[in-house]
Amino acid sequence: MYGGEDYQDYDQYGQHPYGPPEPYELHTGDPRADLEYERQYQQAPPAYIVPDVIKRFIEYFHKCVGDGNVYEIGNIYENSFNKLTERFFKTSSWPEAEYIMPLVKNDNVFLILYKELYFRHIYAKVQGGPNLEQRFESYYNYCNLFNYILNQKSPVPLELPNQWLWDIIDEFIYQFQSFTHYRSKLSKKGDDEIMILRSNPKIWNVHSVLNVLHSLVDKSSINRQLEVFSSGGDPDSVAGDFGRHSLYKMLGYFSLVGLLRLHSLLGDYYQAIRVLENIDLNKQGLYSRVPSCQISMYYYVGFAYMMMRRYQDAIRTFTSILLYIQRTKTMFQRQSYTFDMIMKQNEQMFNLLAVCLTLYPMRIDESVHSQLREKCGEKMIRMQKGDMQAFEDSFSFACPKFLSPVAPNYEAPPANYHKEAFMAQLKVFIDEVQQQIALPVVRSYLKLYTTMPVSKLAGFLDMTEEEFRTHLLCFKHKMSNVTSSKGTGGLDGEFQSASEVDFFIDKDMVHIADTKVARRYGDFFIRQIHKFEEMKRSFGELQTKS
Amino acid sequence: MAEAMRATVAALLHGIDRYNPENLATLERYVDLQCKENTYDLEANLAVLKLYQFNPTYYQTAVTAQILMKALTNLPHSDFTLCKCLVDQVHQEEEMITRVTFLADLLETCQFKLFWKEISLTPEVIEGVSGFEDSVRKFICHVVSITYQRIDKQTLLELLGDIEDHQLKQWMNKYGWRDDGEGFVFLANQEENVKTKNIVEKIDFESVAGIMAASIQR
Repeated sequence: MYGGEDYQDYDQYGQHPYGPPEPYELHTGDPRADLEYERQYQQAPPAYIVPDVIKRFIEYFHKCVGDGNVYEIGNIYENSFNKLTERFFKTSSWPEAEYIMPLVKNDNVFLILYKELYFRHIYAKVQGGPNLEQRFESYYNYCNLFNYILNQKSPVPLELPNQWLWDIIDEFIYQFQSFTHYRSKLSKKGDDEIMILRSNPKIWNVHSVLNVLHSLVDKSSINRQLEVFSSGGDPDSVAGDFGRHSLYKMLGYFSLVGLLRLHSLLGDYYQAIRVLENIDLNKQGLYSRVPSCQISMYYYVGFAYMMMRRYQDAIRTFTSILLYIQRTKTMFQRQSYTFDMIMKQNEQMFNLLAVCLTLYPMRIDESVHSQLREKCGEKMIRMQKGDMQAFEDSFSFACPKFLSPVAPNYEAPPANYHKEAFMAQLKVFIDEVQQQIALPVVRSYLKLYTTMPVSKLAGFLDMTEEEFRTHLLCFKHKMSNVTSSKGTGGLDGEFQSASEVDFFIDKDMVHIADTKVARRYGDFFIRQIHKFEEMKRSFGELQTKS
Repeated sequence: MAEAMRATVAALLHGIDRYNPENLATLERYVDLQCKENTYDLEANLAVLKLYQFNPTYYQTAVTAQILMKALTNLPHSDFTLCKCLVDQVHQEEEMITRVTFLADLLETCQFKLFWKEISLTPEVIEGVSGFEDSVRKFICHVVSITYQRIDKQTLLELLGDIEDHQLKQWMNKYGWRDDGEGFVFLANQEENVKTKNIVEKIDFESVAGIMAASIQR
């Protein structure tokens, strides 16, 4: 899974993985024949000729899936496919499934998997993105895949690498989100397109998407498994036939994270955190081996906490995953889709952390803090001064792509409605910030003293005493956050205040307390141990390979 | 009644069933009961808002307003925000909703005197939500008790909505506050909670257990 690894294994099924792309030389050089060809081209699209390299690739890929060779599938999925894409299909789509069919003896399951990659590639790389038909077909392909996996009496004999399984769930939700945005942009749609959308309300319906995720969760008994796992038992004992099977177990687990994401996109932060109730974010579990899944999970959890005004939990969540990214960054595969995504989320989380720390200043890990100052220092100063635009900018840049689960009113004048869900969430956030906007200034004054008459301090701030007392109450209210007592994760918690500056009023005097934090060593050592372990593991893997 | 319904409703909300619009009538009735009987079930109320989000034709402003009012009774928890996040922009701007949002704003910024004034001007807003005022007083007591060590009695009476002396006595009894006889109410000794802290690192066993176990295994 690490970059820089060459894939010599290619030789097993073809001598020239990077050979000249002969099949693309369609011109014969003979003008008459060329003319003939062009005429033919105008009448009907030419039968597509699959390049030999691709042919051999597909055949080998098919064989590996058939053999259940997860290691090789992983290699193909993370390396070969991306490299061939880079070489042959940088901006055009991979061959349609019908051209592949004869190569894989009409193997239906393989074709579904192939199409999963085929459509995903269209979404990511092909100019103009998918058209309506492709969106529908991709949806049907996912339905076929999930039906194949779920409508069974016993587990299907299919093994896929964890990374791919996570990407399937993640992509499924992404395509749903992409569809809802596409659907709400009415301004450039023709009548026929709207007609098709209108007559197919079931495709990419929010209920179907939820249903898939819930079914995968249920089928795998993942919640029971996690419960037993966290209490130290053997998850297999409650997993059942399906849950013991790695494909189901991992799909179940990833579906929980998928639900977290989906609920967040709908603005339902309570459910978002709720679905993770059996996952202990603090424990590096059996299940947390896919970095992009981990990172995504922390991003959405942190965001949900921020919206719930649980800043301390949000800050802890972001800090911990940003540290993780910082530590492991060099190991992510650079040209994969995932790398860009991770880097994007990294930037987004720094912005969210900047927001949270502005509203709720507290000590965080030194190395994350210095990176934060570098990236968002200027923004934070603007936010501290009460610049609403700075808050709005950070939020817009860093928030998830909120969606509306229902179709727009097709009768309405053609306009674009895809931003409405975002605007609603932005408003909630801005309202919250507005309520707190005076607090940073109050804090900056409190910081200067240890005791001071209320009236005098009010005078410094150009307020009446009563106004100032109101601000002080508000300060206390907003700084007292529900904080989960057992590290990150979960809805439960108690009110705590870890804010750097605290105070109380006794009669007419404000008594102010500052926080001094001694240096911490534990985190540093634990980090170094992990780093060392990881290095040791990578060396081990290299050794077994060579 | 509402308490009896709690379990039934919880069963309705299990798994994929929570998105079944056929449950809406039951859930709406449950919201109404919560208002009448002064009970509260955030999870069920969020499910109602989610059903409205998925099925806009069923949307009811009055029920949404009730849910938002109930959310305010659970301050200092951020339930109101959680609920508001599920209401789309058009509905957020309906008059019935903006009135509740305005109250929320006053409470969230602790402008309690203004809040009581607003309530006295438009008493119909809180009509039908039994125990609303006392729930708000509970919240105010919470904020005051984390802010003050001793507070001027007159100020406290005002913050709680100009209540009578004997009512104040009940609140004081409830929280163990005492009158110091000099016009102040003593709430709690804050010097214990709020003091300049020197945070020294503490490492608990649980956070290093994993690492220690891993090192033994090899």
